[in-house]
Amino acid sequence: MQFKHKQLQNGLTLIGEIQPHAQTAAMGFFVRTGSRDETAAISGVSHFLEHMLFKGTETLSWQQVNEAFDGLGASFNAFTGEENTVYFAAVLAEYLPDVAKLWSQLMRPALREEDFNLEKNVILEEIAMYKDMPQFDVVDQARTLHFGSHPCGNSVPGTDESIKAMAVQQMRDYFTKRYAPNNLVVACCGNFDFDVFSSHIEQLCGGWQPVQTDRTISYFEGTRQKKSIRKESLARHHICLLSPSVSMQDPRRFAASLLGMILGDSTGSRYFWSLVDPAIAEVASMQAEAMDGIGAIYSYICCEPTAAQKVMDIVGGIFKDITENGVSEKELQAAKNKVLSTLAIKSEQPMGRLLGLGFNWVYSQEYRTLADDIAAIRSVTVQDVNSLTAEFQPGDFTCLAMGPTA
Amino acid sequence: MKERLDQYRLNNGMVILGEPMDEVESVSFHFLLPAGNASFPDGCCGAGKVIADWILRGAGIRNNRQLTETLDNLGIHRGSAVTEEHFSLSASLEAGNMIAAMDLFADILIRPRFDDDQFEPSRQLALHELAGLEDDPQHKVMLLTKEQFYPYPYNRPAEGTVEDLQALTPQGCREMIQSRLDWSQCIFTVAGKYDFQAVCDTLEKRFAALSGTGIQRPGFGDRGQRYTHHANEGAQVHIGMMTTAPSIGDDRYYDILAAVSVLSGGMSGRLFTEVREKRGLCYAVGARYQSLKNTAGVSCYTGTMPDKAQEAYDVIRQEFRRLRQGITEEELQRAKIGLKSKLIMQSESTQARSSGIAGDFAYLGRVRALDEIRRRLEKITIQSVQDFLDANPFENFTVVTIGPKKIQP
Repeated sequence: MQFKHKQLQNGLTLIGEIQPHAQTAAMGFFVRTGSRDETAAISGVSHFLEHMLFKGTETLSWQQVNEAFDGLGASFNAFTGEENTVYFAAVLAEYLPDVAKLWSQLMRPALREEDFNLEKNVILEEIAMYKDMPQFDVVDQARTLHFGSHPCGNSVPGTDESIKAMAVQQMRDYFTKRYAPNNLVVACCGNFDFDVFSSHIEQLCGGWQPVQTDRTISYFEGTRQKKSIRKESLARHHICLLSPSVSMQDPRRFAASLLGMILGDSTGSRYFWSLVDPAIAEVASMQAEAMDGIGAIYSYICCEPTAAQKVMDIVGGIFKDITENGVSEKELQAAKNKVLSTLAIKSEQPMGRLLGLGFNWVYSQEYRTLADDIAAIRSVTVQDVNSLTAEFQPGDFTCLAMGPTA
Repeated sequence: MKERLDQYRLNNGMVILGEPMDEVESVSFHFLLPAGNASFPDGCCGAGKVIADWILRGAGIRNNRQLTETLDNLGIHRGSAVTEEHFSLSASLEAGNMIAAMDLFADILIRPRFDDDQFEPSRQLALHELAGLEDDPQHKVMLLTKEQFYPYPYNRPAEGTVEDLQALTPQGCREMIQSRLDWSQCIFTVAGKYDFQAVCDTLEKRFAALSGTGIQRPGFGDRGQRYTHHANEGAQVHIGMMTTAPSIGDDRYYDILAAVSVLSGGMSGRLFTEVREKRGLCYAVGARYQSLKNTAGVSCYTGTMPDKAQEAYDVIRQEFRRLRQGITEEELQRAKIGLKSKLIMQSESTQARSSGIAGDFAYLGRVRALDEIRRRLEKITIQSVQDFLDANPFENFTVVTIGPKKIQP
């Protein structure tokens, strides 16, 4: 694998990882924007805007866009989070120039008012869909509770009210500020010629004008509040816990992700043995999420409503033990082995490499090979993991619970 | 696409199939046995779910904790499942640990401990998951649709029923699965980086002396009702639909794929265009083809706010009907490109290939080369799709709704 990098004069960054034996290529536009970059008045605009990009440009209708992607046999999608909006596609290597052209065109959308008004219905349906999925709803609300007034607590889809009240001009203004070339990274993996690819992108995107874009970065440890929401229509008790962790820029993020695995992987973790294996809870998972200048460890647990207190007592015991006695060499090694094999499986396909490649650049302007990540994971020590728990005190968490009797 | 299929058959009939992939460092393998929910006795709904969990709670010299720790230490991503027709165990891992992993899996299959004290947690987890379905109406509606659509006994609820789960016993479950593991019908597949000789040697050593039980595939009984509604106070009405189609071994298989692709192959598919893009009636809508060995259907899902549910349903039905009025050359071309791309992308994934090979052999008795599939896709014409639709007009649907409002199907 070979890494290539180029920055256009307008600030647009291109990166590529060449895999000469692949039959496919995957590429994506990484926009450094998400719900944390929104104000309350435009809550949900990043995600709504992501939908609107598929509505076409001044010269492409939405039908033409959809037909073009499908005509390339592209496996494509987009997602919006708290701090990134990513548009990606995997195609047979021969179609890479076509899909690159299509995404480049879509990055300068028409944002027509009639499309905006019709798509509002789809967004409202999506918000309604998440209301019927307590496993998502509880995490969304817990994040807001944990981050309080910090922008990382902003809801990604927004609310019924914010979406209904939004005007197309507010979206256009947001677009102008956030989709500037200097706030974008184009990443590509697979079997392709980087020089040809980059001159093609330059031709398509080189004329875009840079704009000053900002993001307020501040670290916040979380509110550590506790809240219960009673919802009689639910059958199960859903719990989300959040505690502070390290950021994407912090080299200790590998240790944090191993800690998440030791405590909350779907097999063999402390949660697994104490909650899932004895059937006290059917789901109990934990993962560390490293973000821009901030981080959090999330747990999601689902159990019978009558078991809620027992679950919280057990979780309290796990955190107490991990803080007082630390993790063992054996469990760290098992977590490493699981992460390493996940990496090997993910790396089979160019698409499996794309998001890691793009995010490493977005957050740290660095290229990390698969070997770099493997080495970083291997070098984590018990001491590294234990000093994280000592510093961040995961047992002192924010908690949101939702259930029929909560 | 260069491809090779490694094949070997043990004396007891067990089939070993492998597809080497040069550029990967990983490997996936799959054991498939014809011991699905349809083969179990009546009154045991959910037994498959319990057994799939229980079987991983200790094998050979290792108890529950030792087995899990050993699997985790080898970095094995594993799955065990009982579907309508099969019991399967699968694994994906770094290639270097392949033989050690196969040995562990042989223990799980041949020497499961099935300890009495590990049975109750498995049953409780199944009961919890069943109860948890109430909080996941999107998932639940499709399970109910399948149960209502497939003929008996292929319609058994895979998640089980409370009554049946509570009546299961460790002894009953142990006998139920062990009497159905017919090694003469076992299929083992592997894809990725592996040494085929070492794979065969390991399997020979562990499985060659095991024999068959002569398990038979059950025939078809009745199907369920045409429409059921399950009231809840959710934000959306979740609609599941399913209509009959020829099964995977049928000559018209590729025409079905093309027709479903025109309907729902991507964002230019007719369902996405008409239901979501033009009318804004939903966020999620899609149809897919699902086949068992001798029965199959096209299923469809959408979720929509109560006041729009009827219109969403009507538009979906209209689009299924309208297919028969003809598809365009452009639609067919997009369908073919989409299907071919998916094929090549799957050829880069060890998991997709090992389960694909297993499915082919179980359902067709042979493995289709990717090149053969590509040629068959090329040969689809507007007329061949039309002929298929004239014979299978997608007119009769099994329908299930969950939500605050009924529809008129």
